[in-house]
Amino acid sequence: MTAGSAADLRSFLRSAGRVFAVFFPQGRKARRTRSFFLFSFLPVAVSLVIKFNQIFSGKPGGGNGYLFNNLIMLFYLQLIILILALFYGTSVCSEEVEGKTLPYLVTRPVPKAAVVLGKYAAYTVVMIGMVTLGLVFSFLILNLDRLLDPAIYRVLGRYLGVLILGVMAYGALFTFLGSFLKRSIFFGLLFCFGWENIIQYFPGSTQRLAIAHYLKSFLPATSSGRFSILTFHLEPTRPGLALLMLFLITAALLALACLFFTKKEYILDD
Amino acid sequence: MTAVVETSKLSKWYGNVLGLSDVTLEVEPGISGLLGPNGAGKSTFLKLLTGQIRPSIGTVRILGQRVQNNPSLYSRIGFCPEHDSFYEDMTGWVFLTSLLKLHGFAPAEVRSRAEKALEIVELSADRDRLVRAYSRGMRQRLKFAQAIAHEPEIIILDEPMNGLDPLGKRKLIRLIKAYKEEGKTVIVSSHVLPEIEALTRTIILIHQGKIFARGDIHYIRDLIDTHPHMVAIKCADPRGLAAQLLSEDYVLKVHFGPDARSLLVETSNRDRFFARLQSLLVKTRMEVEEITSPDDNLQAVFDYLVGK
Repeated sequence: MTAGSAADLRSFLRSAGRVFAVFFPQGRKARRTRSFFLFSFLPVAVSLVIKFNQIFSGKPGGGNGYLFNNLIMLFYLQLIILILALFYGTSVCSEEVEGKTLPYLVTRPVPKAAVVLGKYAAYTVVMIGMVTLGLVFSFLILNLDRLLDPAIYRVLGRYLGVLILGVMAYGALFTFLGSFLKRSIFFGLLFCFGWENIIQYFPGSTQRLAIAHYLKSFLPATSSGRFSILTFHLEPTRPGLALLMLFLITAALLALACLFFTKKEYILDD
Repeated sequence: MTAVVETSKLSKWYGNVLGLSDVTLEVEPGISGLLGPNGAGKSTFLKLLTGQIRPSIGTVRILGQRVQNNPSLYSRIGFCPEHDSFYEDMTGWVFLTSLLKLHGFAPAEVRSRAEKALEIVELSADRDRLVRAYSRGMRQRLKFAQAIAHEPEIIILDEPMNGLDPLGKRKLIRLIKAYKEEGKTVIVSSHVLPEIEALTRTIILIHQGKIFARGDIHYIRDLIDTHPHMVAIKCADPRGLAAQLLSEDYVLKVHFGPDARSLLVETSNRDRFFARLQSLLVKTRMEVEEITSPDDNLQAVFDYLVGK
């Protein structure tokens, strides 16, 4: 890398950092964040119900690892992070166009791509904050009797990693959709509950066309039981490759979003 | 004087719709009024100047630099958009400081610049109220504040007086004129003629995507040969004065007012007419109450040019 391009990169990252500094507090305080925060705590409520049921029925919590993996994690991966990423990701670009606030941003000394990356980073951190908190509570509730066992925290770390990767990848995908589609929420919903929730169960290599496939590849393998329908046909990719794929997907989609946002001329409706 | 804004053969199409056609002009420091009816192409022109859209043909240069893909130039440009749009959940203070942060100022400088800008637009007392609770006039002033807060050399204002009450308009006009005194360049668009007239005599007339005329309003008026100049005179003996004026070939028509104390003269040469009028008045010692040029204003020029 030449000295000039290194300076350009530093300047670009500083610009993205400034955008982050503006939109992170806004994303945190936004009214929708309160609603989504409650929404992301639904698995905590489910975990509480399960735990109370176990306590009052006198059943041991031995199968809680299985329950967490196949119920709570799926709840997060197939519903919560999809919905959060859909609304926050698409809003990175579209809220500026629909709210007609775009001229305030694009007439500042920050590259348009830095606007996209800075806002994406800000909203991703907000989403990660919401989902990880819920996930940690759910996990600890279901593992209440094993809190002193260090092994469970390694598992928790893995779950958190999967969730963060999921938020990043889906956030990038919906940022990309929001940068060029007018009805990005509609198409995003079709993608979430159409493509992602169907393709991942296809046998063979077709399932590799879904982001969920790579996320689920990190989850501990469990024998199919009551929830076999949810794990049926999963042919996991090796974790290293899955990680690489998720990073590549995220980077490529963000690059496309930046490209669209930089090149596209947004017409602000009167 | 050096041109601050230069455009060359600037054209913009939105699909098959023409937004702007073949605009070549230079804007010098001072206030320039961009005038035209709604849909004339004013906003398209300003969006091209500020790099929000790309030209289909032609180039724009501001302060000698290209505008497209040149974000550093925006530290020298302040833009006040036409739309009444804000981040509604922010307070006026947060809105302003957020936009200043994007310029990369240190936190202390962000605060001092925001305080100064809010003071200028008289919103200091309301800085902690949510923007959604601001009146239309306050929102307009806040929009203006964000355009000037980073102290740009060029201020581009798209319909900045929309929604302002007469007092607010007067204050804004005074503010804009103060920037002119500082040697800055201000480009103001409006479809309301008196607003531009109160601000500047340097105008750019735009209609159907084309620049009809630009320059000093009087100069432009003089260029319109198809319409004679009107001069209204109030005096004790309008008929006697008319009799002497009608012998001149550049006096085309004379109308008498119903009050028998005024006449309206149409002339093809304003300078010669005024020279002759002056000598006549001195010679006849006639008392004159008032001499005005009813069509020497923006409305008349605009109407003539667009063929009304």
